[in-house]
Amino acid sequence: MKNALETATDMRVTTVGEESYFTVFVAGEIFGLPVARTQTVFRISSVTPVPFAHPDIAGLVNLRGRIVTAVSLRRRLKIAGGSEGVQNGLAIGIEHRSENFALIVDQVGDVLVVARSMEIPVPPHFDHERSRLTTALYRVGKLLIPALNIEAIFDFDKS
Amino acid sequence: MMDEILKDFLTETTEHIEGVESQLVLFERDPKDAALVAGIFRLVHTIKGTSSFLGLNRLQKVAHSAENLIGELRDGAPPTQTTVSLILGAIDRIKVLLEEIEQNGVEPDGDDRDLTEPLDAQAENARNPNAALPSIATADNNSAAIPASTGEPVRMQKASAAAKGPETIRVAVDTIERIMQLVSELVLTRNQLLELTRHREDDLVKAPLQRLSSLTTDLQDAVMRARMQPVSRLFSNLPRLVRELSGELGKKIDLVTEGDDTELDRQLIEVLRDPLTHLIRNSADHGIEMPMARAAAGKPEFGEIRVAASHEAGQITIAITDDGKGLDLERIKQKVLTQKLATEADLARMSEEDVYRFIFEPGFSTAVTVTNVSGRGVGMDVVRSNIELIGGSVSVTSKPGRGCVFSLKIPLTLAIAPALIIVAAGQRFALPQHAVVEAVAVGSGTDVVEEVQNSLVLKLREEVIPVVDLQSVLGLNRITETPAPDRLAVIMRVGGGAFGIIVDAVIDIQEIVVKPLSASLAHLKTFSGHTILGDGSVVLILDPAGLGSGLGIEKQAEKKREALKDLALSGATRLLLFRAGPGALKALPVSLVGRIEMIKPDNVYETNGGWVTLHQKRLMPLIPMHHDIRPGEKAFPALVIIARGRSMGLLVEQIIDIVEEELIVQLPASGGAIVGAAAIDGQPVDFVDISYYLSSAFAGAHSQSDDLGKRVVVIDPDGFVRDMLSPVLIAARYNVTVVKSFAEAELAVKQNGLFDALIADADNDQLGAAGAGLFRMEYGAPLPVIGLTASGTFTAETARGPVMVINKFETQSVLNALAAILACETKSFTGDSFFTPEMAA
Repeated sequence: MKNALETATDMRVTTVGEESYFTVFVAGEIFGLPVARTQTVFRISSVTPVPFAHPDIAGLVNLRGRIVTAVSLRRRLKIAGGSEGVQNGLAIGIEHRSENFALIVDQVGDVLVVARSMEIPVPPHFDHERSRLTTALYRVGKLLIPALNIEAIFDFDKS
Repeated sequence: MMDEILKDFLTETTEHIEGVESQLVLFERDPKDAALVAGIFRLVHTIKGTSSFLGLNRLQKVAHSAENLIGELRDGAPPTQTTVSLILGAIDRIKVLLEEIEQNGVEPDGDDRDLTEPLDAQAENARNPNAALPSIATADNNSAAIPASTGEPVRMQKASAAAKGPETIRVAVDTIERIMQLVSELVLTRNQLLELTRHREDDLVKAPLQRLSSLTTDLQDAVMRARMQPVSRLFSNLPRLVRELSGELGKKIDLVTEGDDTELDRQLIEVLRDPLTHLIRNSADHGIEMPMARAAAGKPEFGEIRVAASHEAGQITIAITDDGKGLDLERIKQKVLTQKLATEADLARMSEEDVYRFIFEPGFSTAVTVTNVSGRGVGMDVVRSNIELIGGSVSVTSKPGRGCVFSLKIPLTLAIAPALIIVAAGQRFALPQHAVVEAVAVGSGTDVVEEVQNSLVLKLREEVIPVVDLQSVLGLNRITETPAPDRLAVIMRVGGGAFGIIVDAVIDIQEIVVKPLSASLAHLKTFSGHTILGDGSVVLILDPAGLGSGLGIEKQAEKKREALKDLALSGATRLLLFRAGPGALKALPVSLVGRIEMIKPDNVYETNGGWVTLHQKRLMPLIPMHHDIRPGEKAFPALVIIARGRSMGLLVEQIIDIVEEELIVQLPASGGAIVGAAAIDGQPVDFVDISYYLSSAFAGAHSQSDDLGKRVVVIDPDGFVRDMLSPVLIAARYNVTVVKSFAEAELAVKQNGLFDALIADADNDQLGAAGAGLFRMEYGAPLPVIGLTASGTFTAETARGPVMVINKFETQSVLNALAAILACETKSFTGDSFFTPEMAA
């Protein structure tokens, strides 16, 4: 998988008609996060669980003196099973509606620059929850990479 | 349009106006004080000048007319009531206009001739006092002649104002908040460093670290100070308030403020405004007597309200003292008795202070007549809850005939608070110290905690205090099966009610930097915020008020009845909101839910196509409320419903909240598991039909039950019983028919045959004793009747009709009585022999 990704990625400056995505892996699946929205990648040292919070919220973590809300991408995407390294896991720092979030993933990949022409809409037969969290798919080499919808991922009101 | 000049003008003017109001009232008192008038004149003059420069025409015209009138005062015209009122009116109008401009950036349309014309006319009058009020004016002219040459003192004051006072710059609040935030983070990092180096003997690092540490503390202090504002901001509108109150009430009141320069966190100043206003209204209305009465009591005609702020031991005390008649101890006692807040024996034991504290109970007012100002019984409880919300306290002392003192104790700031660091199931939490009363050891070997009807209570001295295990309340997973032997119950007092939480340990008491919860967690009532401890870990801050209300512990046991009555009067029912399956949230009256438990997958067994769990060596059926809830996969909260000695767990996805709402089903459902839907907080919510789940939980047990389907008719014209009692009855598997009147009940009998029991409202005139008796006679059949009453008093008159009279808010008693009656009935029913006052009481 890494190979396929590497062939598709050559580090260029984004130009018009192109978008950059930061790739992350959860349970072997690859996803893209808009680069413009990701602030930092860090390793979580300890998570404080929050009783009564939304089940997809793993808890609170201390990111350099700032308290951020950790959200499990695995739980968000309803990926069953598999062990999740919440403690000592990798997380992407993202700000959404002036709230700081940490999106917990298994692995991080490279930045991927894709052309608008590689975009295909989310197929209608996709799982409802999945398609709600996805903005589009990108065909990159042999891979189809879903671009995640940051707004939907961190919006706990409507889920 | 909102350019910098305009913004500066708005903020400056608003501040100046706050200052001028108190000066005006002071001036009315002491017309000889020319310096005051000069100050007011200058302000209005500045407003006039700047607004004309900025092209704000309405503002300019109002200021111009006001300036004219004030100018007359300055030149020696007597300050009459009309004059002062007109000037205050003009200042009010200026404030309104300023607010409008601040919001919209432009002046609103319209004109102010209604104000400027009387102002101009009054200015004209003041100039020719002889024409308007010949006799009085002459006298006034003479007395006003003393300060006639005002030029000199005014100039002097200007000079001195420029000379004194430190230099200031205007800083946006956001900037200060940002600095505060950075300092908080610096403090946390410093704590982390200290923690790291604690066990290392490295002198090279130690010395600079010590220096860094003390500098950080100093910096924190300095920034805290920058957030502080003098309480004079809070006091500035009080003179006006008192002036208006004395006018309204026809009393003569002097206001004295002390400690105006005491400083307080600006956040707190805003929170204190309303409580302070209310306390002063209260003192003016109830405390200070009419001038005649004061004279008769040998007191000066002018009553005095003194508001004094002082700073001691990291707290601010604001004392509101009046020299009025004091609180009426006997009347408070009477009221306590009629409202059943305490018994006569209780009162006899209480100190005067304790009795006075009752005035902070909701709905408590001793005023005989309701005045415009106060006496509606709302407010004092709000004062207390507002003050407690910010970690403060309010107390009252009183001397008959000499007046009373309300004192507010308020923390200096909200940003940093002392807190207990507690541990439950291996997780640490911070508990703000202000609500904590004490901690009691409740480990094995002690017998202070007892389980009564599935709930824990703590016997402490004379009191019985409801307690809960924090671990189970928060649904935390126990790390070890056996709880620690030396557990503690931390007792808290919130709004007059005490409750305790059982924790594994209290490991520390420290000052924590309070940070509010982020938006996606802000809905959690159990927590008020979070903080970072010295070791860098994040802990949640428990909210004592949220914990208490989430558990339904808001009142002490002896006040429970009163609370229920309030609830009934307001028509509100406590509803548990939860999520189960897609679509609208689901709701159940809290009274139906015995407890909430987390059901873990390892304690779930599949039997006969259903789920059960082992609870205290008994099997409890589990009913998932939605097919997505698969108890074998992960832990789910279960609402444990206890009906007729059996319990079942209703599995839901997530507990959302407990709300107090009027239980009115707006959209009746066609059947199934939902009774109907209603809107709560603007969101649709489905009411769950408990009987539906009970019947599926105990499907096999139906035939064993001898009272299933016992038909009960409930006569209830006002809907209370229908909404609150009938779900309980249905849950207990009675066949319930609710009707509004006896006529309807008769109709139901004609259509469906006789009922097994009748429940009617004994408080209702039409349904009272006579009606119930009549119903029994006419049908001749042995129909047991239960009368419900809100007052709980059992009089012979009501006893004549119904077989039993029971307090309608004690649903469990109603169920017990019904079961007892029906059980006896199957043996031999002999009418009035069921009249058992013991059970009814």
